[in-house]
Amino acid sequence: MLCIVTFVQEFGLSRFTLLEVFPDALSVFLAFIAVKKGQKTSTTFGFAAGLVAGIISGHIGLHMLANTSAGFLAGFFHTPDDSHATIKQKITRFYGAVMIAGFAANAIMAVGYNPLGLPPEYRIVTLGVLEALLSLTLAILANQLFLRKSFAD
Amino acid sequence: MPKFFTLLFKYKAFLLFVLYCSIALFFIKLEDEGAFDQLSAGGSEFSAAINEQLIGYTWLLNVRNENEQLMRVNRDMMMTLLKSETSAIDERNRQKIGQDSTFNANGFIMARVVDRKFSDRENMLVINAGWSRGVKQDMTVLVPQGLVGRVIAVSENYAKVMPIIHTDFKASVVSDSSNTMGILSWKGGSEGFAQVEHIPISSRLKVHERMLTSDFSTFAIRGIPVGRVVRIKPDKLFYNIDLRLAVDFSSLTYVLVAPLKIEPEKAVILNDSTSTQIP
Repeated sequence: MLCIVTFVQEFGLSRFTLLEVFPDALSVFLAFIAVKKGQKTSTTFGFAAGLVAGIISGHIGLHMLANTSAGFLAGFFHTPDDSHATIKQKITRFYGAVMIAGFAANAIMAVGYNPLGLPPEYRIVTLGVLEALLSLTLAILANQLFLRKSFAD
Repeated sequence: MPKFFTLLFKYKAFLLFVLYCSIALFFIKLEDEGAFDQLSAGGSEFSAAINEQLIGYTWLLNVRNENEQLMRVNRDMMMTLLKSETSAIDERNRQKIGQDSTFNANGFIMARVVDRKFSDRENMLVINAGWSRGVKQDMTVLVPQGLVGRVIAVSENYAKVMPIIHTDFKASVVSDSSNTMGILSWKGGSEGFAQVEHIPISSRLKVHERMLTSDFSTFAIRGIPVGRVVRIKPDKLFYNIDLRLAVDFSSLTYVLVAPLKIEPEKAVILNDSTSTQIP
């Protein structure tokens, strides 16, 4: 599943650029894992996802660092199975995790690699927020299509 | 001791995060030292092959053949043009025609752009020619309109190209009329414009002059058009020059890879400042 999402990201979604950014399916995936499985799992998944993404697109270490951090931060939104959270609360936490993971991954990539020579504040803040919003849109779409059932379980 | 283990257990997610980050940072260090070049080449090969397949579905066979034929014609015309332009510059400067052993137009390799990424995370082209077709690192990539970039990584069937519009790209350029020399760079912004650095205030460079690659370039053969000067703004010691690039990066389909510029004597003399005579 991890590899599939990484491939979809690298070969599909990375082409849908808006103002040089694109939605990050990995952030959505890591946020979902974080909410469902917890921080340790999402951090490990982030690490592995970064490794695969790095091998495909270059900058292995940076991708690993960015996605590990994204997974770790998304882990703070974990909702244990035995919690009394409603579906709506779980989904809200999922969206929060997506935003944080997307923004963090973008910020770390921005600090480590800036091929377009964009100003750091614009790259981190403006594009970071934009990427987080695009990822959120993707998360809403994914939730409407197939994730809602998982949250209901 | 039990306290230590309790603490370890309590913060194990954080410790795991620190461990992974340390590994990632170690990987970054190894990457800088070139330890993953082979792995990266394999990854590029795989990635490019998939992208080529994806793009390939959108191509109609007859259009591709027609494009290939047109590209061949363009290649021949460009060779003639480059040769004559180089000759004209040589004559003007009273240099002998044919002295340039680094220019061998026959060795151009034609390749198709199979992937192009222009985002805040990646900025590169991938072409479907690798070391099996003779492509090597640092070869010049161009089209009949002008310079495209430089080969930075090669696998068996594909090569990664760093385009001019990359903040790490630098090339030595010279103007065709006033012979003003400078360093081509790209500082971000529009992909249609680049900058030329280190042009002193005293130079006679004018707007609309054409900039070409110079003999000083460590990788590019000379005489390849780069762009036209569109703005000259004086600074303290140097001019700030804006250049409209000759190549439209949004519509690149085919490119040519020029043979590697081999100047062993030049490399030796640049690297070894102690020697006084080279046999």
